[in-house]
Amino acid sequence: MGPAKGPDRSDNESVERPSVRTSPDDLPPAFVEKRRKPRIQEKPTGPPLPAKLGDYEHLLGKSGIEELRYLAQGLRGKSIKVVHAPSLENHAGEMLNRSISLLTELEVVANFEAMVEDPEFRKVAHMIRRTLGGDAGYLAKEAKDLYLRRGDHFRERSRFNEDVVVVHDPEPLSLVRGKSSKNQYWVWRCHMDLSNPNEEIWKFLRPLVESHDAAVFSAQVFAYPLSIPEYLFYPCIDPLSERNKQLEPSYIQHVCEEFGIDRSRPVITQVSSFDRNQDPMGVIAAYRLAKKYVDCQLVLVGSIDTEGAAEPDVMAEVMDAANRDPDILVVNLPASSASEINALQSASRIIVQKSSRGGFGTTVTEALWKGKPVVASAVGGVPNQIIHKITGALVHSVEGFAYQIRYLLTHQELAEQLGKNGREHVQENFLLTSDVKRWLLLFQILLHLSRR
Amino acid sequence: MMQIAPTSVRWARTPFYFSSAEHLLRIEPQRAASLAELLEGVKDCSEDSIFQHTFRTLQEHHFIQEGYSNDFAHWAFFACNENELAERLASVDVREFISVKTLRTRVIEILEDFLTNHPRVGERTAMEPFYFCSSTSVVLPTPLVARNLQEFVDALESISIHSLYYHFIEARLRLKLTSNDFSVWLEHEVGLGRAADLINRIDIYTSTLQGVRHRILRIVESALA
Repeated sequence: MGPAKGPDRSDNESVERPSVRTSPDDLPPAFVEKRRKPRIQEKPTGPPLPAKLGDYEHLLGKSGIEELRYLAQGLRGKSIKVVHAPSLENHAGEMLNRSISLLTELEVVANFEAMVEDPEFRKVAHMIRRTLGGDAGYLAKEAKDLYLRRGDHFRERSRFNEDVVVVHDPEPLSLVRGKSSKNQYWVWRCHMDLSNPNEEIWKFLRPLVESHDAAVFSAQVFAYPLSIPEYLFYPCIDPLSERNKQLEPSYIQHVCEEFGIDRSRPVITQVSSFDRNQDPMGVIAAYRLAKKYVDCQLVLVGSIDTEGAAEPDVMAEVMDAANRDPDILVVNLPASSASEINALQSASRIIVQKSSRGGFGTTVTEALWKGKPVVASAVGGVPNQIIHKITGALVHSVEGFAYQIRYLLTHQELAEQLGKNGREHVQENFLLTSDVKRWLLLFQILLHLSRR
Repeated sequence: MMQIAPTSVRWARTPFYFSSAEHLLRIEPQRAASLAELLEGVKDCSEDSIFQHTFRTLQEHHFIQEGYSNDFAHWAFFACNENELAERLASVDVREFISVKTLRTRVIEILEDFLTNHPRVGERTAMEPFYFCSSTSVVLPTPLVARNLQEFVDALESISIHSLYYHFIEARLRLKLTSNDFSVWLEHEVGLGRAADLINRIDIYTSTLQGVRHRILRIVESALA
């Protein structure tokens, strides 16, 4: 919503001269020791119980909670079923669980079922996901038959007599073939980018998709023009989760000390997997350009050990760069180390997300929620979250990243304003409670219960 | 909490019932990859879509008090780099319109005029497409009712931003008046015509909705001082 300025300079720009460190030996000994042997939480804590509606009152206000209750009241006597594949992506799956918990508290009857998968079905589903995402591939007739048969079997085992059935992602799409009543409404929640599906697979799945009464996408850019109404439900974060709740400053300090992060100097962080799509080498290049003018450290947080989470050649390049520069820190943390990741985000002056392609970017949402200025690539769902120079900075190149990092590190007031606006943007659009509200609204609209 | 002196409490002839509105976003089939396509899209899209990109964007971005005020203006600047057009589109003040139809006509006039004067710009591909969306609104009652000014002030302090938006901005499409629910009630039911006028002149484009709330409260307080 705001004027996007080019690389401008102001006269009062204060430039901090970097203190140059060329090898790890230049770091204070305490940091060196910690970096060699960071003491990370070895056993991640189990997920906490989902929060209760009342726990969100300090964020939504009493009126916000009342609005949810009112919307839910209108659905009394109606029943909802939610079906998803066990492979539903971690974050989306966790948010779904939390949404269902709040819907249950609101007395909206929601039956929650995971589709049973066997290895054969999983293989077919994997191919469907890849090809729906645009990859080349072919599904033989036998594979299509198997896909439909598994759906039929699941439908026979589970009763589908609810008023609204919501299916998540492509695995349960064929269940809609059992839709019998005109008064029953089926919704497809697509968490994928469907903008460019493989033509052959789309010819097979499109009739199933369009047999639903509505489809839901995570961003306009991921949608495909369909003959049924398409709704926009942004992915969300839970502000009360370990990953996003407000932490004690002492804990943030403790985590930084454990990882050997020098908090007397600015920290720039990217939380992502180590693969080409997330371009950690591009982030390092941008950091190096910025560091010519402003002293800073770069922290790259991601999982190295989890199978498939890192591309070995990318990892090797990143580690090589980190070994040459003591101010580049690679932190190996799985997604389950939520509190530590939260602490590292909270300790950062700027969060970056340099993706060459991508999904919605919930790590951007998390950073905005923590009031951090975010510099991110204008891809996927990121432009839904970052309004350039209003809630963050959208960039298209390494040079653009470097410039915005320098600018924000030297213009604290603007950085703070972006962070403040970003948090408001998340509060309005990307919290779990907004997601619950959208579902309640959609159920009301489908069931013609709402007053418009 | 603002307290009005007991002698200043004014009772309304008809109570003010506070409501709120929630909106569900729909993705529409129209997309524009250039300004010429934007013009076609604006002509073809639903009224709900025009409403979404002008009125509703004020609610979605209620915390912003600078920058371009509607999605068309923002896109003209950010994706097409057309400052003049962005400024002209941003000058469309939704408060001057009591129907989406006339608002659409105004946007079309601006786009047509610009593209007539800059014919080569129309076909240039934008940095990112404009995706038309629309919104489906659901009106929600709230338990808040004001029978006098003290109750009005108390409620105004606690209503959600969405309720404020519903009564202060969206109301004009419902009332078919270039006014808002608060001003109409204060003038006709409480007899505070001057305060009603001042409230209607609050600049929503240079203020956040929280800022609007505080200004309304201050105006009511001043009217009774």
